Amino acid sequence: MGEPAQDQGVSTTDVDAMLAELVTLRKEVADRRTQAAAAERQLDRYAADLRATFIAERERTEALHRSYMATVRALSNAVEARDAYTGKHAERVASYGLEIARATEWELATQPEIEFGFLLHDIGKVAIPDAILYKPEPLSVEERRLMERHPVIGWEILRDIHFLGEAKVVVRSHHERWDGTGYPDGLAGTAISLAARVFAVADTLDALTSDRPYRPASPLSEARDIIVAESGTHFDPDIVTAFLTIDEGVLERIRLEQQ
Amino acid sequence: MVVDDSHAIRHLIVATLGDVGDFELFEASDGQEAVELARRVRPALVLLDIHMPRMDGVEACRRLRALPETREARIVMLTGTGIDQEEAARAAGADLFLTKPFSPLDLLRLVSDLSAVDREGAGPAAQSRFPRP
Repeated sequence: MGEPAQDQGVSTTDVDAMLAELVTLRKEVADRRTQAAAAERQLDRYAADLRATFIAERERTEALHRSYMATVRALSNAVEARDAYTGKHAERVASYGLEIARATEWELATQPEIEFGFLLHDIGKVAIPDAILYKPEPLSVEERRLMERHPVIGWEILRDIHFLGEAKVVVRSHHERWDGTGYPDGLAGTAISLAARVFAVADTLDALTSDRPYRPASPLSEARDIIVAESGTHFDPDIVTAFLTIDEGVLERIRLEQQ
Repeated sequence: MVVDDSHAIRHLIVATLGDVGDFELFEASDGQEAVELARRVRPALVLLDIHMPRMDGVEACRRLRALPETREARIVMLTGTGIDQEEAARAAGADLFLTKPFSPLDLLRLVSDLSAVDREGAGPAAQSRFPRP
C-alpha cells in the first residue's frame, strides 16, 4: 500500500518523465514546423530571384534581337534606296523566302539568320558602279564579270559580323544554281546551303511578278509554271515541290502589300 | 494546372512560376482530382506527374485527351528517368515531358513561351518557340 501508482503499473516519476518527454516532442514538432516554413520562404526567395533573372535575361535577348533586326533593315534599306524601280524587293523576297522556307522545313524559317540573309542578299551591289547597275543595254563581258562579283563583295562586307551566321552564306550563294552553273563558286545540289536554295526560288518569283522597265509583271500562275520548268536545273526540285504547296493567296498578299 | 502528389513539388512549381505569365494556377494531388478540376477550369497547360496514387499521370493524360473540354490543353508530363516512362507519356498523348529532377529554368521557358503563344495568337513564330517532341 502507499504506492497506488505502482499498482496501476505507472509511478509518479514515470508520469513526470512522460510528460517531460511529451513537452520536448511538442517543442521539436513546433521547431520543425518553424524550420520547414523558413525553408519554404527561402525557396520562395530562390524562385523569385530565378524568375527575375530569367525575365531580365529574356528582355535583354529580345532587345538585342530587335537591334540586330533594325541594323539589318538599315543595311538593306541602304541598298534599296539606291535602286529606283525594284522598290521593296528585299522585303518581298524575304517574305516569299520565309514562306518557302516554312513549307520546305519549318525549323529553317525560325532561324533569324535566314531572314537576315534574305534581306541582305544584294548588299554587295553597293560596290557596283551605277553605270553598270542601271545600264539598260546588255552588259559587256567585262561588265558582267564585275556585276557577278556582288555576292562575294557582300560576303566580304559582312564577314566579321558574327550574329549574321548563316546569313553570310545566303549572301554569297544566292546566285548559285542547282545544276552547278551558277556563281560565284559553281556549287551544285546540296553543296549549296538550303537557305540559299530557298532564296533562289523566292528571288525568281519576285523578279517575275514585278514590273520591269522592259516588261510587265507576269501573273502568279505563269511565274509558278516558269519555276516548275526550271526545277532540277536552276532550282532544288524538293523546294519547288514545297513551294507549290503554298496557297496562292498568301503569295498574292505579299506582292500587293509590299509594292 | 499543377498535378503532383508531393506537396513539396507543387510548392516548388508554384513558387517557380509565380507571376511569369498572365495565368491563374490550379493544383491537384492526383489524377482523378486533376481530371475533375480540369473539366471545370479548362487549363491551357497541365503539368502532370507520372506517378501518383489513385490515378496516375498516364491514365489522367489519356482521359484529358478524350474529353472535349480538355482535349486541346498542352500536357507536360513530369517523369522519372527511363525511356519507358517517356514512351508511356508520349503514348498517352503528352506534348512534352520534363525529367525529374527537372530544371526550373526549363519550366520557366516552357510556360512563358506558352503564354506568349496565347497572347500573340498561335502565330507561326510563337508556335515554333514551343518545341514539340
